[in-house]
Amino acid sequence: MTILEVKGLTHTYSESSAAVTDAVNDVSFGIEKGEIIGIIGHTGSGKSTLVQHLNGLLKPTAGTVLFKDEDIWKNPKEIRKIRSKVGLVFQYPEYQLFEETVYADIAFGPKNMGVSGDELDGRVREICNIIGIKDEYLEKSPFDLSGGEKRRVAIAGVMAMKPEVIVFDEPTAGLDPRGREDVMNIIKNYREASDATVIIISHSMEDMAALADKILVMNKGKLELFDTVENVFSQGERLRAMGLNVPIVTRIFAELIRRGINLPENVFTVEAAVEALKKLKEEDGNA
Amino acid sequence: MDNIIEIKNVTYKYTDEDKTVAAVNRVSLNIERGSFTVILGHNGSGKSTLAKLLNGLNKPTEGEVIVDGINTKDEKYELEIKRRVGMVFQNPDNQLIASVVEEDVAFGPENLGIEPQEIRKRVDDALKSVGMYEFRKSAPHKLSGGQKQRVAIAGIIAMTPSCIVLDEPTAMLDPKGRSEIINTLIHLNKDKKITVILITHYMEEAETADRVIVMNDGEIIDDGTPKTVFKNVKRLKEVGLDVPQTTELLYALNQNGFKVDTNVISVEDTAAAIAAALEDKKD
Repeated sequence: MTILEVKGLTHTYSESSAAVTDAVNDVSFGIEKGEIIGIIGHTGSGKSTLVQHLNGLLKPTAGTVLFKDEDIWKNPKEIRKIRSKVGLVFQYPEYQLFEETVYADIAFGPKNMGVSGDELDGRVREICNIIGIKDEYLEKSPFDLSGGEKRRVAIAGVMAMKPEVIVFDEPTAGLDPRGREDVMNIIKNYREASDATVIIISHSMEDMAALADKILVMNKGKLELFDTVENVFSQGERLRAMGLNVPIVTRIFAELIRRGINLPENVFTVEAAVEALKKLKEEDGNA
Repeated sequence: MDNIIEIKNVTYKYTDEDKTVAAVNRVSLNIERGSFTVILGHNGSGKSTLAKLLNGLNKPTEGEVIVDGINTKDEKYELEIKRRVGMVFQNPDNQLIASVVEEDVAFGPENLGIEPQEIRKRVDDALKSVGMYEFRKSAPHKLSGGQKQRVAIAGIIAMTPSCIVLDEPTAMLDPKGRSEIINTLIHLNKDKKITVILITHYMEEAETADRVIVMNDGEIIDDGTPKTVFKNVKRLKEVGLDVPQTTELLYALNQNGFKVDTNVISVEDTAAAIAAALEDKKD
């Protein structure tokens, strides 16, 4: 089932300000329920502008966004309703924490949707359980937490709304390696615990190779590629021309193939690389 | 050995809600003139505090920091130390102030009271050295993140520092912006002989450094060449760090019965090491 469909989406910022490259230009694609989609593209390629249309934060200059076959702008007065169905985690979301306690911050979103009482409490605790926020943190002020912990609380606040689609705009930006790993695990755990569709904007080709089902490549406001991880990362030259790249293991394999070693090109993760090399070693052993 | 910076048994303490915390704890460290050093450590490990100790932005609670023979506690030389050890921070938008690129780069030397002709020359040279000369008349807000950060570096270079300290300069950049910055730093170090101290969370950026220092809980826990430091995969992961994906692959291969040389980091060398290990099997 197609959960989100974008048709001919164009967004032009008012001509007096901002560069033209920030706009989105005639973009169309469809996302199936339950997919994990990675969005890659250089800074200013239109990624953030694109995802802000998916929950109605921005209104298309032209084109439509369909959620379950219905135009999200069909009744503009009710546009806010889409925001509980398509949750958006902004870049540096911890800057938006404002409540007195971690609990109140996580409860804010679902409360605004009209959830209350035991159900509200249940949701907050369920999310904390899934993403590993301990009970003793709930009464703390979010401002007393470390950067990585704040980010976790901000993400929990969006997840507590139980959106059917959750969009992350560079969720690991500015974090240290452990913080990055934690956030990627939170996304995986949430995905396993719910049947949510996940869209992630990222600059890490390695993370996208390990997590995504399909990758959408934005370049200068246009949709350049939208395909499986394999079909996207097999186009190294094209990606490099756009200021992107393929995962590091894929580059190592390209170099090995160039040296005449008989290995597959479609290797994008460390695990897959180890398997491919083990297989080659066994075949050589049997020869 | 000619050291540009000498850190002698330095502790830096601050008070947080009545508790005294040692962000840097009895650290001793010499930075050799002309070297390229990378400092790694998780958030809160003390690396940014250490960076600010290097040019007197932070003054040691105990111990001394000596820059070019000058103690950073000596207030007479405060500006001179900041000129000699320039700092670049994470967010390029917070560092650019003028509405034209070349004016921004001229800001530092103007403040130093340099002659206009000399400023003109320094600004041009600095912009050329970071590859931004053709953008000298541009408005900073129209530049990409990597370009803005290179302008910020040019602003430091125009003050003719001996050393440049960068605190996560690539954290907010895309891959292209990141490689622009790293290539610029390699050029400034190799060709302009400027000492570089780079703080980063991206392990790949340590690949070309002369030296890698690992901080944890305010202390230095490892110090060596990239190859020797990244060999200790387990220890690095224990302190919340990571290794480049090249090292991770070699490490995983050895755990799976391969005998691969792990003493390499770049993509080319990694491929060569794997190819060599595969060759061995055939003999």
